Amino acid sequence: MVWLVTFHSSLIPGFLVSWPTRTQRRKAEIGCRGETCIRPAPTSAFGALHPLTMQLIELGILGLFAGAVGALTGIGGGLIITPVLTLVAGVPIHQAIGTSLCCVIATSSGAAASYVEHHLSNIRLGMTLELGTTLGAVAGALVAARLPREVLGILFAILLTYAGGTMVRRSLQAEGPESEEVANYTIRHLPIGLLGSGVAGVVSGLLGIGGGPIKVPLMYLVMGIPFKVATATSNFMIGVTASASAFIYYARGDVRLLITAPTAIGVFVGASLATHIMRRTPSRWLVRLFSLIMFYFALMMIWKSVQGGFAR
Amino acid sequence: MSRFSQDKAERAIAVVLRYGSLISTLIMALGLGLMLLRGPALSIPAYHRIRLSLLLPMLVRFDPAALTEFGVLLLLLTPLFRILVAMGSFALERDFKYVLISLGVLVTVLVSISFAIEG
Repeated sequence: MVWLVTFHSSLIPGFLVSWPTRTQRRKAEIGCRGETCIRPAPTSAFGALHPLTMQLIELGILGLFAGAVGALTGIGGGLIITPVLTLVAGVPIHQAIGTSLCCVIATSSGAAASYVEHHLSNIRLGMTLELGTTLGAVAGALVAARLPREVLGILFAILLTYAGGTMVRRSLQAEGPESEEVANYTIRHLPIGLLGSGVAGVVSGLLGIGGGPIKVPLMYLVMGIPFKVATATSNFMIGVTASASAFIYYARGDVRLLITAPTAIGVFVGASLATHIMRRTPSRWLVRLFSLIMFYFALMMIWKSVQGGFAR
Repeated sequence: MSRFSQDKAERAIAVVLRYGSLISTLIMALGLGLMLLRGPALSIPAYHRIRLSLLLPMLVRFDPAALTEFGVLLLLLTPLFRILVAMGSFALERDFKYVLISLGVLVTVLVSISFAIEG
């Protein structure tokens, strides 16, 4: 009964409650130190759009875009979210990376689930390589905390250029490796694979991506895994890899509630819409267009790093 | 290992992956929605650590910020549940080599979580 009453009181619009006492009580409850608290607004949410409402809508739309583009081009949301958050929304790069890690978990899960259901993911191989990626991810996240914004910006620009180049090359190839055997293959060079997974984990922990651009070529070219299985298994590993570093960002306060939650919701919806509505693979011109956007993002990241224009 | 038991394990893993992210997204949306409905003037706590002793009572009272925070944490914990399910399925198949490997991954993620739990 008490629970019901408190539940309903939480649904009462704010203007019916006296703000100062409510806010002060809440501050005392949660040990808020003041500087990170949203200032009490004089008007209710039903009046003019409050800055918080605007922020949530803006981040939700950016997330929607990033999620859709990530799903359409197959590069995952991680490479898009951080540049969009830092360059468009002015989010500090460490917080953008923390947000990106959370979003990557949300977007990869859906695709990973269907790959697993279609027996494409090699769960045992994925679990083994996760030994490398998680250790690397923890190390990468710890290092990222000590790196200045500008260094992270330049590293991210390099990654964007590399991924954009991969996309262009793939769009120039006549046909992807489509008609290959996905059931019978032998895993080669497991130690190199583990080491490479560690590197992929470090990059993921540093820059907040899932590590797909490194893991897929590693499995396909070095370990002799069929391309489809490599993609599916890489996707399977993304969530665990990202969460291994996300908690360290969280501990440093770089997973901000009002940035992460709206972006993650947008990314989740955007990625789901993109995969369900557009089932076919995107046209080559679309892929080339998006690779151009990535090169542009890369230039902007370098420009901002050199200028020292990243938000604190 | 039989194809049948592997099928079941794969289905269980797929369920965790699919519904873990879906449910946590819904909880985040509910939290943000309530936050806007109640007026955005609530103080938003600076969560740097998981303080269950503070989070749980606020969650029971449907505090919007606590709900949103819970959604984010659930999202971050979904991969952990996935490791546990895979580990359980390896154990059922008596494939102890992979139980050990899963345990290694699990410990690494737990170490990462330990950074975030307030001591």
